[in-house]
Amino acid sequence: MRNGPLLVTFFTGALLVAFFFIPHHSAQKMQSVMLDWANVVYAFALILGSITLWTVHQRKVTSRAPGWAFSVVTLSALAFMTGAGVLQGVEEGTLVNRFYNIANYHLVSTMFALLAFFIASAAFRAFRARNVEATLLLVTAIVMMIGRVSIGEYIWQGFPALTEWLLDVPNLAAKRAIAIGIGLGAVSTALKIILGIDRSYLGRS
Amino acid sequence: MTPELDTRLFEPGRLNLLIGLVLFLIFLFVNIARAKRGASMFIRPIAGLAAIEEALGRATEMGRPVLYLPGLGDMSEVGTLAAITILSRVARRTAELGCDLEVPGYDPVATTMLESAAREAYVQAGRGDSFRPGTVHYVSAQQFAYVAAVTGYMLRERPAANIFMGSFYAESLFLAETGNVTGAIQIAGTDQVTQLPFFVCACDYALLGEELYAASAYLGQEPIQLATIAAQDWAKAAAAIIVVVGVIATALGHPEVGRLRQTQ
Amino acid sequence: MARRPLAPRLLRLDRRVIFILVALATAIPLLFPVNLPISVSPRVRAAFDTVDKQPAGGYVLMSLDYEPDIAAELQPMSISMLRHCFRKGLKPVILTLYPAAPGLIERALNEAADAEGKKRNEDYVFLGYKSGSQSVILGLGESIRTMFPTDFWGTPLDSIPMMRGHNSYADFPLVINMAGSRIADYYIQIAATRYRRPLVLGATAVMTTDYYPYLSSGQILGLIGGMKGAAEYEVLNNLVGNGRRGMDAQSVVHVLIVILVIVGNLALLLTGGLRRRGGGA
Repeated sequence: MRNGPLLVTFFTGALLVAFFFIPHHSAQKMQSVMLDWANVVYAFALILGSITLWTVHQRKVTSRAPGWAFSVVTLSALAFMTGAGVLQGVEEGTLVNRFYNIANYHLVSTMFALLAFFIASAAFRAFRARNVEATLLLVTAIVMMIGRVSIGEYIWQGFPALTEWLLDVPNLAAKRAIAIGIGLGAVSTALKIILGIDRSYLGRS
Repeated sequence: MTPELDTRLFEPGRLNLLIGLVLFLIFLFVNIARAKRGASMFIRPIAGLAAIEEALGRATEMGRPVLYLPGLGDMSEVGTLAAITILSRVARRTAELGCDLEVPGYDPVATTMLESAAREAYVQAGRGDSFRPGTVHYVSAQQFAYVAAVTGYMLRERPAANIFMGSFYAESLFLAETGNVTGAIQIAGTDQVTQLPFFVCACDYALLGEELYAASAYLGQEPIQLATIAAQDWAKAAAAIIVVVGVIATALGHPEVGRLRQTQ
Repeated sequence: MARRPLAPRLLRLDRRVIFILVALATAIPLLFPVNLPISVSPRVRAAFDTVDKQPAGGYVLMSLDYEPDIAAELQPMSISMLRHCFRKGLKPVILTLYPAAPGLIERALNEAADAEGKKRNEDYVFLGYKSGSQSVILGLGESIRTMFPTDFWGTPLDSIPMMRGHNSYADFPLVINMAGSRIADYYIQIAATRYRRPLVLGATAVMTTDYYPYLSSGQILGLIGGMKGAAEYEVLNNLVGNGRRGMDAQSVVHVLIVILVIVGNLALLLTGGLRRRGGGA
């Protein structure tokens, strides 16, 4: 019984690896079904996650922890959107859809836009010529930032070509090397999980 | 050929991948056998991982929590699996040191796994009763809603150490910069190559790519785990040899050798 | 009291000052456009040429997979790509794998179709959203109708004349994907590699370099990267959209960041020099 999850992991993982090499239509169909199962599991886990979210914030409200008012907002929003979604659905014109377009759309765009400010402050702090590597990073970053925008061509005609070379040669070489390492690391980690060598995801050493 | 008509049992265009996979498995089993026989497995020092102990110690002395972010991947991403295994090591140390741990989860399935790993780590450290419910909690499966919650926590609670391990995306700089404002020591590791530059610039220590996957083995120093890193290194050496052979063959006028690496 | 030297103060420049400068550098060029020239890169030219040489009446499968956070980069390229398809007389069939994308895509379609005088279900079909990512991309190889029995507005695909005889990748000579996530990887693995469909990608600036290896290996035929790529595609189509409008602001902000970096390094140099001479505050 204790080995049940390990066996499920092994057979599921091994099957999906095998399906990669088997083009038979039945195998591909089974693969598609298994991927759909993953979506179903996710849907149930979402319920579990929502319960955890509710519990955490309810505890903050009942114990009047600092910032508990924000937890009231969170709980109200969770209850409202869940109820509205269940009763009305999420199609165009429903409350959920309208709130999504009015609030979420703009909040998400704003948060993403804040990255521009963070990049500027991070660049100011991090791009300091403290040693050889940092200086190389600094010079490359300056060339890239100028070369990738219209103003680069105004300053020097060769900027776009230099930028393209930097992207095509040293950048691509380093990316490929890192990608090979990551790919092999991913295979190793996945095999450890499938073969049961690493069981920490089950809460066991 | 449409899949409905496809009755082949093997895709010949992927033979090279199958050979590679079998070779990797051979490397894995050989190194596990070596580990069981007591062969010493050297792993080079990784500054970011060595700094985790320092970060946890700092948090304990300052009486401030440790924030552990497992990334924004789901359970199908290997980075998330790596994050879970690293959390079990980190949680064990926080249990032993008696400092607070906070783990906001992004993916609901991953969050349940993270909680289970953290709880078990506390039990193994003999501190099962001090595992606080809510240590690992689900926040949101929306990228920037998650970021807003986490950065809010950082600014309010001012954790002494921020550990980012897993798959991060556009929010990486957001998190790292906000953590920098609070003065926390920051250690990051991600398998998302596009986010590595942001972590390198904004964090005190950064694990590059596969170092994230090696982290669990590095922290635990268990022979079998180290054996898998050795297998990885052997596979990388084999890949490098194949690349070099292909380049030389192509330069000598035999591009078909390089094309053996192509797959369908 | 002696004034503190400038260099150490610059090194500790309040980040709020930087934020204000960035805000001004973004807002001013948007309010007062300069219209800096934009040169077209070979990758975007390749994407344009791939679409341009499709024969009139040809079908294109377009997967537009982005949400509001990255719409600033991907929406302009989607609009100019749609307009290019319409001008060439191509028939795009559009779908999305992101739940928050349909609203954005509807806007893009309305803008492009109105500008080129095209009609829904005669000149283009919008299938809407389907959850599942990889399984949907796989399923498109078998049957589009299984994945999308109706279009976004509920019309059964069988009753749309434009969709007759078009039910899988095999019926589309070109696939275009605009995404800021690993959806693009799935299209490369499945549509381009398994089903051997010509594929053109649009991606965010940060992710664009991830796809350079696929471009050099021929697995994708063109790559439009970020707002610059969108602006280049607009140039090729003689359009002025948000891509070109945004490039002025992006140029100024980049220059500002470079100036800040140089100032920071000068301050570091001077601070180091002041310490060596024993001077200071």
